[in-house]
This record gives sequence, C-alpha cells and structure tokens, in this order.
Amino acid sequence: MSQWLQQVIDRGQAIDDWLSPLRAEALETLSNTNWPNRRVESWKYTSLAPLEKLELTASNTAGNTVEKAVNKAFIDSIEGLNSLDLVFVDGKLQNDISLLPLLAGLHISSFQDAAVKEQNTANALFAKIKPQRHLFGLINDALAVDGLIIDIAADSEIEQPIRIVNISTDGQESHHRILVRLGNNAKATVIEQGQGEQASLNTSFAEYEIGEHAYLEHYRLAMHTHQAIHIGGCHFSLLQQAELNSTVIAYGSELSRLDIDIIHNGEHAKAKFNAVYLLGESEQFTLHSTIEHAVPNGTTEENARGIIGDKAKAVFNGRIHIHRDAQKTLAELNNRNLLLSRRGQINTKPELEIYADDVQCAHGATVAETEEETLYYLCSRGISRSQALVMLNFGFIQELVNQMPNQHLALWLKPQLKSRFVEMEVK
Amino acid sequence: MLKIENLHASVEQKEILKGLNLEIKPGEVHAIMGPNGAGKSTLGFILSGREGYQVTEGKVDFKGEDLLDMKVEERARKGLFLAFQYPVEIPGVSNMAFMKESVNAIREQQGETPLTAAEFLKKAKEACKQVQLPLDFLKRGVNEGFSGGEKKRNEIMQMILLEPTLCILDESDSGLDIDALQVVANGVNSQRDGKRSFIVITHYQRLLDYIEPDYVHILANGKVVKSGDASLAKDLEKEGYAFLGQDNAEETNI
Repeated sequence: MSQWLQQVIDRGQAIDDWLSPLRAEALETLSNTNWPNRRVESWKYTSLAPLEKLELTASNTAGNTVEKAVNKAFIDSIEGLNSLDLVFVDGKLQNDISLLPLLAGLHISSFQDAAVKEQNTANALFAKIKPQRHLFGLINDALAVDGLIIDIAADSEIEQPIRIVNISTDGQESHHRILVRLGNNAKATVIEQGQGEQASLNTSFAEYEIGEHAYLEHYRLAMHTHQAIHIGGCHFSLLQQAELNSTVIAYGSELSRLDIDIIHNGEHAKAKFNAVYLLGESEQFTLHSTIEHAVPNGTTEENARGIIGDKAKAVFNGRIHIHRDAQKTLAELNNRNLLLSRRGQINTKPELEIYADDVQCAHGATVAETEEETLYYLCSRGISRSQALVMLNFGFIQELVNQMPNQHLALWLKPQLKSRFVEMEVK
Repeated sequence: MLKIENLHASVEQKEILKGLNLEIKPGEVHAIMGPNGAGKSTLGFILSGREGYQVTEGKVDFKGEDLLDMKVEERARKGLFLAFQYPVEIPGVSNMAFMKESVNAIREQQGETPLTAAEFLKKAKEACKQVQLPLDFLKRGVNEGFSGGEKKRNEIMQMILLEPTLCILDESDSGLDIDALQVVANGVNSQRDGKRSFIVITHYQRLLDYIEPDYVHILANGKVVKSGDASLAKDLEKEGYAFLGQDNAEETNI
C-alpha cells in the first residue's frame, strides 16, 4: 500500500499549477511518512483495508473533465433553504450547475479560475489551519487541483446558505479543497454535503478562518455510504470573539472518517459542535475532534451522539487541549452511543488535556442498549416494534437535530434520518 | 369480551398463576384484589403480552380470538389497554408524538383514516384537561421527570385518547393522594359507557370507593379464591387478607 502513497507523491509532484509551491511541504512530509497500521494511535480502530482493495481511476489530475452526466435534478432541493449551490462531481466543480454568485460581500472562486487576489487569499489559508498530522489531509494538499475560495468581506451578512454538494461516482478517485475566510463581523452559513455509494475514494478538507466577532453556521453532512470511501476534515480557526456553530451528520461506508479541529486563536471565542452518526450493516465511521484552547476565555461545547446497528463500527475520539495560558476556559465534551446490536461496536475516547489551572471542563462518554421495557411500553400502545425502534432512536438524536439553527435543513433531514433508522434495524 | 380459562403462567421457571379463571362481559367492571405477590400484576402483563412470562397451560379468548397468539401491538390495536403501575420514562420522544403514533396505529387497524395534526391536537388537549395535566405535558418527553401522580394521570390520558374496549388498570391508585385518586377515578368513570370493560387491579379498597365495580375477585396464590360484588371489597377492608390462611400468605410472599 505504501506503493499507493508513492503514487500519490508522484502524481502530486507532476501537478504544475499555482498551488504547487503550497503542495511542496505536504509532499515532503508524505515522502517521510509510513503507511499507517493499527499500531498508529490515530488509526488504531480504523482500518484502511477497504481502500487497499479498490481499483480507481484518478480523475483529479489537472485538466481532466468529468464525463458523467450530472444534472441539477441529481441534487436534492431543500424546501425553503434558498441556498447558493456549488456542486462538485468527483472533485471537479461543475460550473454549469453551480452558482458563483455576485452578492455584495461574497466572493467565490474556483481554484481553476482563481485570479491573483484570490490566490493570495488561498495562500493565507491553504494548510495553514489544518494541522499537518492528518495523513489524508496531506494527501489532499498534494492532489486537490480543484476547490473553492470563499471570501466573505468584513461586516457582510450573507443570508443565503452556501451549500457545497460533493458527489462521488463509480470507480473514481477525487480530492478537493474548500477554503473559507470570514472577515471581521461577517456572518455566513456553509453547508458541506457529501454523497455517493459506489466504489470510490473522495477526500474533502475544508479550512475556515472566522474573523473577529464573525459568526459561522456550519454543517457537514457526510452521507457517503456503501463502497464510497470518504475521508475528510473541517478545520476552524476562531479569532477574537468569533463564534462557530457546527453540526456534523454522518452515515457510514466501508471507510468513512472525519477529522475536526477547532482552534481558539482569539480570546472570548465560542464554539458549539454537535455530531450525530448513524451506522448500519457493516458500515464504519470514525470521528476525531480536537479542540485547541490556545488563549484564555474561550468556550467550547461539544456533543456527539451515535446509533450503531448490526455489525457497524464507530470510532469517536474527542480531545480538548487547554494550553497553559488558556485560563478561564469553559469546555464540555460529551459522547453518547446507542448500540442496537450485539455485533455492533463503538470505540469512544474522550480526552481532556489541561495545562491551565483556572478552567471549567467536563467530559463523558456512555454506551447503552435499547431497553426491552421501553419497547414493550411503546408496543403496548399499538405501535409496531420497528416503528417503536425508529421513535426511540430518533428520540436519542432529536435533541441535536433540533439544535440545528437552520430549520429548513432540519426539516429536510428528519425524514431521511427516519428512513435510515428503518434500514439500520436489525431483524 | 374476555374469557380466561385455567391460566397457568410462570416467570423464570417460577409458577405465578396456577389455574386462573375469569370471564368479563362488555360493560362490566371487575376489581381484582389480593395480597402482594398474588399474581395481580403478572395477570396484567400476560394479558398485554409482555415478554418473559410463559403461559404453560390454559387459554385466553379476547373477542373470539386467541389473545395469547397476538403480538403486544396487535392486542393494543384490538382494543386492549394496560395502564402501567410503573410507566416508563422515554426522554427524547414527546408525549404528543408518542400518542399521535399510537392513536393512528390503532385507527389504521380499525380502517379509519389517520388524524391530522390539528385534529389530534384538539383531542389531546381535551384529554389533558380531563385528567388535569397542564398542556405543556404534551410536549415533554414521555413521563420524563413526571411525578408519580402525573405518570398515573398520563396513563389515564392515554386511555382516554386510545378509546380501548378492555382497560386493565394496574394499581393506578398506588402512590396517589386523595385528589389525584379522584382525578384518576373520574377519568376512568368518564369512559364507562356500558360497552367498555375494565379490570381494576388494586391492593386497597379505597379506589373502589370511586370506581364502583360490578364484581370483585380475590386473587391469592395464583388463583381466584373468592368472587363477589362490591361488598366483598368492603369486607376485605375490615378483615384484611388474613382469612386466606397462613399457608397461602407464606406461599404468596414472592
């Protein structure tokens, strides 16, 4: 498999574009990196074996175009959302069905069309927020030839959510990158939505700089399933009094992983991060989150809840790191899991690493099973067992779904989650 | 309505019911009294179909069908309702969502169209009022953080909404003060219409001051040992279960 990594390096070195200087560091690191095995802590519970089995066409070399016909109808319309849709298919931005709007205060450019000014914005963000320790983040550094540079001017409030849809199709390998800068006092909503079920590999990493007093509402809907391998990350830098409200909704596939980094770089910043993962069959999903409190007076509240059915396997690793100077930090981390089957598996590890002495922190993790007594109670009122399970499962995650600030998105999501529960049910 | 013949049942290999007979006709109210461990609650669970109870002998006919052959939800859809002694708390599932699902599951079985959200809300509000639960209880998680009395009233509210034909009340009076007891009793009495039948399981006679039974049965050691009219309950209140004899008392001490 290191052969695959070698090919990544070779392919990365062959790319010649304005990002090449930025790729160099990643390529250098990659060439000194061993392919991870189970003894590597960050991959201890996550197997890369499904990736090793795949034979893929790397579509994401410069100049390659996607031949598959994808039209607007393929993208779910979300009632009432009124979003600006940007669509990637196999890592390539589809200009014909994407809107690159000219709204006051909002500037969006693709990597392919970036002018000098946009390239400068990208230079300031690319691999600057995302830590170097993420292997697939480095691979994305090396190979993402397409992506978006989203620049929101200071004091601008963008009302329409920016929705980035990421579709993987059969047999394709793809890598793309999202770079977002919110100026001071700016306000925006970004939705990253992934989908695909056929044999494929997609890496999608996003870096966000949230300016002073700025507010980002963020969603990552990681809905790749079946054989669609998806490895990605969202990395946020919060400047003074910045605020982040982020929600991850994840399904699982043969291999699906998200790495989240929230870095408090300015004082009095606030981060709220909720995650929901629903896995059935033999799906896998790994969520690693790292919250860095580098400065005093930051607040973080993280809640992750998962339901694991059948032979599925979830990994949650949540770390809060409070640096020596980060006094008066308030940080909470909670992970709750519901196992629907004896064959399901969850590895959960909340971690607090505290070097400051005047902080308030809490963390916890639970794993529970559905109680027969509760099911009996629901059934005794005429509700079928399968419907009762759907209600109980939905009850378990509903609180987090209801906390999503965008109610249109929540309304669109709920019936989908419910139908997923039906699929997840173990007969 | 319901005919129980020679019912034997055990839990974890221990026989609890040992040949119980009982027949209930439409519109009748039967009280079942007896000492702790006599098998009163077991009877309620077996009739509603709780797992873990093995019927080893006998049969139960409900409206001409074999009740023991039906799943829990099928029994409910056929009109059987058990008001639990200890209702379960279900955080995350609202009372409203729960009841709407239930009402519509039962309506569907009976060939009726499901209620719209507005129609359901109207009925639910009325039922709430009837058992004197504040309306915000509809929005709260099922029984989540409810007091003992509120849980019992919530059970009666469910009964009113589901309009069952056979209601089994399992110690719906336990842990209630006199005001709450009256609320529960009024809720039950409002549902007596000459067709709907009731099995009122209770340890004490006082509930029967408010819900007047047509028949009273004394259950001891897994069998009905004595049946009579409402006056039997009053005698029992005076004399206690002592007449059952020392042997029975020991054996029933499970």
